[in-house]
Amino acid sequence: MDTAVVSWRPGVRKARAALILLALLLLSGHGLAAMRVVTTTTDLKSLTEAIGGDRLSVAALVPPGTDAEEYAVRPGDLRRVRDAQLVVRVGVDYDLWLDPLLLQVGNPALARGGAAHVDASYAIALLEVRGAAIGDAGGHAHGSGNPHYWLDPANAEIITGNILEALLRLDPGNARFYEQRRLDYLALLRTKIELWTRQLAPYAGKAIVAYHNDWAYFARRFRLNIADFVETRPGVPPSPAHLATLLALTRENNIRVFVREPQQPAPQIEFLAARASAQVALLAANVGSLPGTEDYVALFEVNIASLRKAFAAATT
Amino acid sequence: MNDFAMNDALTFLLPAATAMLMLVAVHLVFGLQVLRRGVVFADLALAQVAALGATVAFALGHPPAAAAAFGWSAGCALAAALFLSLLRFCPARIPREAVIGTIYVLAAAGALLIVEKSPQGAEHIRQMLTGSILTVGWERIARIAPLYAALSGAQIALSRARLTGAAGWRGWAGEVVFYASFALVVTTSVALAGVLLVFALLIMPAAIGVLYAERLPAQLAIGWAMGALASAAGLAASYAWDLSPGAAIVCALGATLACAALGKWLAGRGRRGALGRAARGLGLAVGAALAISAAWLIIAPRSDQPLLDTLEYAWPGVRWAYLTEREAGTFIEAEQFAARYRDEAEKLNALERRSRWQGNGLSDDELRALSSFAQSYGEMRRGEEFVMHEVRARARERLRWCLAGLACLGGLLLAGLPQGMWRVRSAASQPETPSSAQSFDTVSFRDASSPSSRVTLALSAASSPTVTSAPEPAAKDAVA
Repeated sequence: MDTAVVSWRPGVRKARAALILLALLLLSGHGLAAMRVVTTTTDLKSLTEAIGGDRLSVAALVPPGTDAEEYAVRPGDLRRVRDAQLVVRVGVDYDLWLDPLLLQVGNPALARGGAAHVDASYAIALLEVRGAAIGDAGGHAHGSGNPHYWLDPANAEIITGNILEALLRLDPGNARFYEQRRLDYLALLRTKIELWTRQLAPYAGKAIVAYHNDWAYFARRFRLNIADFVETRPGVPPSPAHLATLLALTRENNIRVFVREPQQPAPQIEFLAARASAQVALLAANVGSLPGTEDYVALFEVNIASLRKAFAAATT
Repeated sequence: MNDFAMNDALTFLLPAATAMLMLVAVHLVFGLQVLRRGVVFADLALAQVAALGATVAFALGHPPAAAAAFGWSAGCALAAALFLSLLRFCPARIPREAVIGTIYVLAAAGALLIVEKSPQGAEHIRQMLTGSILTVGWERIARIAPLYAALSGAQIALSRARLTGAAGWRGWAGEVVFYASFALVVTTSVALAGVLLVFALLIMPAAIGVLYAERLPAQLAIGWAMGALASAAGLAASYAWDLSPGAAIVCALGATLACAALGKWLAGRGRRGALGRAARGLGLAVGAALAISAAWLIIAPRSDQPLLDTLEYAWPGVRWAYLTEREAGTFIEAEQFAARYRDEAEKLNALERRSRWQGNGLSDDELRALSSFAQSYGEMRRGEEFVMHEVRARARERLRWCLAGLACLGGLLLAGLPQGMWRVRSAASQPETPSSAQSFDTVSFRDASSPSSRVTLALSAASSPTVTSAPEPAAKDAVA
């Protein structure tokens, strides 16, 4: 109303136009142009959001609780990748199904090696690098290394570093914002890692049996001894001889805790645990695959609480 | 394997074996009916529909072990059973298996669509369809045995009452009872032993029983004995050679069925000379395999040679027969280096594994260095393996005519020798007019017996199609 009264004078009119223009500019710099990022897993989504906050709109392709290694691409994924300005992947042969998708979209920036393609595994110190498959030991078909590196929270520094580097290139205007948020997040993670290490310290070196070889990085960070796996070859049920070895191992090393993920089969683990009167800890390998694991920090909170509970119950 | 491990193994192998005996019996009873009706894939369809029911229950928020989940899955399976019982009214132009297959894919696709909306449901379906026979406990056996006994008893009574074969509504009632009890059996046993094993147990022992007997009690006795034998053998093999138990038992059942069919075929053509026929058949088969291998060796000496590779795998000494001294030296050296590199890489990996929880742990840089060493060892080992492969390939290429000649000669001897023996025996028992095929065979056999002409004959046989035509008339003879 006020503007309607004063707008008779030409000078004020100019000023008003300039104000509107400024507002539009601010809007476009802020809410309108939230950069669209697509990640393959929910873990990378959580880490990207930790850096980008509301200036990024992040979508994960693989829904939580689904096996990312055997993911079947859906029509919606094609649209999501086509609209994306940045793609973040796990790498290490973990999300190979992304490549045909990128090929289909045909955007050279998003393709492998492009400016908007982040392989989060870059510069990570990988475990179980074989080059060629050496023997059957390890339970993985990945010659290039064990791909579950995000389960070491200290690796978040390298992962977020890789993401930040791409963000600085694509969106230099928000460089300071991203850098500061990453530093804050890493500081938070450092204090958390200290706490978690202290919480798991009493169980360092205690033997555990896991269903599948997903926990190598987690074990290295928190000094856990994962003595063996139920599934030694992906997708193949354990043989009687292996089950007998596991039973003997359980008794000889007094193993009292077994580890399983919600999407892994229960019968063998439950059978072994019942035989050894041991505890089964349900751990989540991905953000969102268990209740309460909404983000990357909560994922570790839940897993560590579950492990501590199992160890405490096993010792009493 | 020490005593401890054996005792450990027995704690789950004994329940597994007991469960197998039980499963063989109940599936045999239903399998005979399945074969008679020609609805071989009905079990897969029913199991999938039961899984669909469980998925619906899961999507509605019921926990997997709840009564509601069981109700949903049993309800869906029974509904499908009711539908299957109506198959007898289906027009003859549409085969029953078409309807059963349609039910199967619809249930599988429906479950998939529901699962997409509720994560973690996929694993739930997988668990319903892939039971593990090794983790069956005694409690579970005790729980299921009465159900199996009641259902198979009812099934036997039903077939005794001749209700199943009856026409009209009385027959339909029989069908409803059959499919309903079949649905209950299949859903229980698939969760116990998995789809693969249940299908094999349903078809193979019943097929053996039907092959050897006309009457139901005899069919049941033979089928159960052979099924139990094969299951025990499969379970033992899976323990001895570290194999997946379900797959091992299925293969043992398959081998038993094949032996039974072969035995039936041999016995069906008169008892006399059955052994001779078997020897001749075996000789022909091995002879043909040798001839094909010889031809393949000449065409592509550097590619995989299944027969030669298998021989070398079973008796590594075979390769010293065709490698020269120098080649053998290179081969042994490469083999030793490859083993050394593998050991070194394994040592590094074991060190890294231990360092995760022992000592001070490796820093990221130490880990990277270790990984790059392990990777280099892997590359070097692959290099040595390439040398081993190349030495063998070159020797095979050099000696291919000679090796192929030997193989052909062996093949001819094997294919011809028992036949000659057989002819002598049959000539003694009854006069027989020699067919053209037999005279051809005799000629080639006699020619091959003179040492100088052996190789040349074999060579010409290997390079021309005569070698494959040689066993052919004989095979024709055998079939006739």
